[in-house]
Amino acid sequence: MTDLAFLGIADAAVLIRARKLSPLDYAQALLERSTRLDSRYHAFIRLTRDLALAAARAAEQEIAGGHWRGPLHGIPCGLKDIIDCAGLPTTAHSKVLVDNVARADAPVTARLKAAGAIVMGKLATHEFAIGGPSFDLPWPPAVNPWGGNHFPGGSSSGSGVALAAGMLPAALGTDTGGSVRNPASMCGITGMKPTYGRVSRRGVLPLAYSLDHVGPMTRTVRDNALLLQVLAGHDPEDPSSADVPVPDYSADLERGVKGLKIGLVRHFYAEDMQAHPAQAQALDQAAEVLRGLGAEVREIRLAPLEDYATCTRIIIRCEAFAIHRRWLAERPGDYGQLARQRILDGAVVSAAQYIDALRLRGRLTRRTLAVFAGVDAALTASSMDPTCRIDDAEACARLYPRQARQPFNITGQPALAIPAGFTQDGLPLSLQLIGQPWQEAMLYRIARAYERATGWTERHPPVA
Amino acid sequence: MAGNNDTLREAAARAGLDKLDTDHLAQLERAIQSARELGDKLPKDLHYSEELALTFLLPAPGSKKP
Repeated sequence: MTDLAFLGIADAAVLIRARKLSPLDYAQALLERSTRLDSRYHAFIRLTRDLALAAARAAEQEIAGGHWRGPLHGIPCGLKDIIDCAGLPTTAHSKVLVDNVARADAPVTARLKAAGAIVMGKLATHEFAIGGPSFDLPWPPAVNPWGGNHFPGGSSSGSGVALAAGMLPAALGTDTGGSVRNPASMCGITGMKPTYGRVSRRGVLPLAYSLDHVGPMTRTVRDNALLLQVLAGHDPEDPSSADVPVPDYSADLERGVKGLKIGLVRHFYAEDMQAHPAQAQALDQAAEVLRGLGAEVREIRLAPLEDYATCTRIIIRCEAFAIHRRWLAERPGDYGQLARQRILDGAVVSAAQYIDALRLRGRLTRRTLAVFAGVDAALTASSMDPTCRIDDAEACARLYPRQARQPFNITGQPALAIPAGFTQDGLPLSLQLIGQPWQEAMLYRIARAYERATGWTERHPPVA
Repeated sequence: MAGNNDTLREAAARAGLDKLDTDHLAQLERAIQSARELGDKLPKDLHYSEELALTFLLPAPGSKKP
């Protein structure tokens, strides 16, 4: 069972295609494990056992009949519960939407199903992807399998936990101010925020229209490339979707980093904020690892972190309030305390401030992309600190703004969070790679070289 | 405090929120303070020529894109 729990997409796909692993056995094993572990970790809002087993049976028969759809065929996956799956409630982890049954699949869900993936259920999130961790909602918050009783990051908290605990090999998250990369960093897994427009957001509850992204979450870099391959592509019915060709994200994975120019944004974690010593050391060591593999790593400077943070916070507040205004007017008591505060924050921001934030966004984006024109990619922190106990509300609140993820929601650039070691207490550390627009393949190439050199993604929490 | 709550209720009403209880109004008060602090952090030299025009785009002739 342990082998199946931490089997990745790429390895499982080889076994499934060769008919050495039954999709039905695989799904049953992970359903059993999820059922057993979830009373402790709360990754799932809803396990869809019957639907999953039916889909797994169908996949098994199809493959036995000689039709293998590709690497996702027969692979269990989960959806953050703001992503529509036809016939299932999309609750956003909120009392406000407990009965909100989706009428159709979101395009990302449809793409997973078309690739033969097995939807195992809907995953915990911070309420409406903004308020968490919260203990005043219809479902408890997800708990990190690393550490005793620790915060898994968010808002795609259930996705990070399910992957780290070996309940799933693939999950979808969303990222408006870092919500794929934050749980990836806290749970020791791999999370990609693709370029803005790369993956459709239709059928996904918005948090802030102009900053929202859907992204793949996996344990390894190779698996992440395989999952993005299925998700990426133009959606003519999503106004933010870009009609840009989708490359083969796995083609250059093993090419190494020799000769690549990698910018190190050290001022983010050494000047603008002081990262936890273990985290700062892990980042500096990562730069050395990449140098040792032949990359040219040199420091670059972007705008101060606080400029990006101000811009992000104003835009999220305004757009989120516009989305929630009617519900908040009619049912303010149905929101959890944290989400209500963060959405109310947008009720009193002026239109002029919002417009100024958009102007600032344009300025920051132009200046950032100009710096990136001189490098193949950049390396910096994702989180400034390892995670904290989930029952320490003040520590959780301090943790969230200590990050360097928001700049790349503002610029729309692709950004990948991967494991970068562990603290002495055994809590995950992380790094973030950022690329030029549409260059996700470059990030996978660099991340894979680092992963191969360090082996961090091979470690799993001691979950029985 | 009653006077302060009246002011907050007026602010809430302007935002279309007339069902906030006392605890919610306390949250709104924190939001007002936070918005003030955040606004102060915006650069003062932003110019209308920097407009992004993100929100409105006419479709190209023959385009199916909304």
